[in-house]
Amino acid sequence: MKRKLAYLGMGIVFGFTLSRVGASQYDLIYTMFTGEDLTLAWVIITAIVTGFIGLRVLAATGGRTFDGKPITISKKPLGWTNAAGGAVFGVGWGMAGACPGTVLAQLGEGKVLAVFTLLGILAGTFLYALLVERFPSLDLEQAHAAGATRSKREGA
Amino acid sequence: MAASVYHALFVQPWPWWLGGLSIGLLLTAMYYFLNTALSVSTGYGSILRLLLPRSRLRWLNGPNFTDRWGWRVFFLAGMVIGGYLSALLAGAAPPGLSMGRFTAAVHWPVAALGLWFFTGGLLLGLGSRISGGCTSGHSIHGLANLHPSSLLATVFYVAFGALTVHLVRALLMGGA
Repeated sequence: MKRKLAYLGMGIVFGFTLSRVGASQYDLIYTMFTGEDLTLAWVIITAIVTGFIGLRVLAATGGRTFDGKPITISKKPLGWTNAAGGAVFGVGWGMAGACPGTVLAQLGEGKVLAVFTLLGILAGTFLYALLVERFPSLDLEQAHAAGATRSKREGA
Repeated sequence: MAASVYHALFVQPWPWWLGGLSIGLLLTAMYYFLNTALSVSTGYGSILRLLLPRSRLRWLNGPNFTDRWGWRVFFLAGMVIGGYLSALLAGAAPPGLSMGRFTAAVHWPVAALGLWFFTGGLLLGLGSRISGGCTSGHSIHGLANLHPSSLLATVFYVAFGALTVHLVRALLMGGA
């Protein structure tokens, strides 16, 4: 239960941050893609660089959690689905002016139309579950199940 | 002094660098304290699992969703609370139908707007799952780890996001 509360707390920090930098505003996503205002691109780039350095520091200090367990870096398999799914995702990103993370902050802020985006994401996720039932090769994580243990070892 | 720090952190909007720093440190803290990769979109599978406990679909019975009240449900719920607190402390506008430039330029009935955002969401959900992640899991977590799959996904997110926004601008907003 303590762990679940920790996840809740981390989620609060994430949602608060997304809202504070304006990532939950339709306009900032729109203007990032038109090139008028690159604020959001800079947020993402700073997050990547900070995360890269943070993970390097963790690795350099023994790659262990605060209670001494080895950290396992999760790695997603490479394949054509990254590109195909990425294209589908991009169209949704441009249409909704939100991504699966920022829509949650939008919801908290009281943006009523975000309810529709959220229901759409749930429907799209369900549609994927139906598709994978028929076409198991769509699920790279399962298709690479044997390779997963290998990449886990590399990550550690 | 204390009052101005409070004001800058909890009332004012944040500069981009503070937001980036906060997300990068969160990514690091999630590994250090919880040994968990920053990830949002898979959490929608956790919510489906919670709503449809009897579903026999293989994916919903997969390794990510063994726990009915999985950690992802708490993480996603926290994100809604975070957005709520941010708006509350900033004294933001009450709930409404506004969605920035889109609703300012496109005068559709609510049902049509709802269908538009639902369709956008559907593509986000489907595209996340097929590509194996979203802006958090691929573009931030994956790129911070220099994963090739995340670079490939992110290039397509951005390319098709930009293409879509240009089409929306030209066709729905009259080039505004």
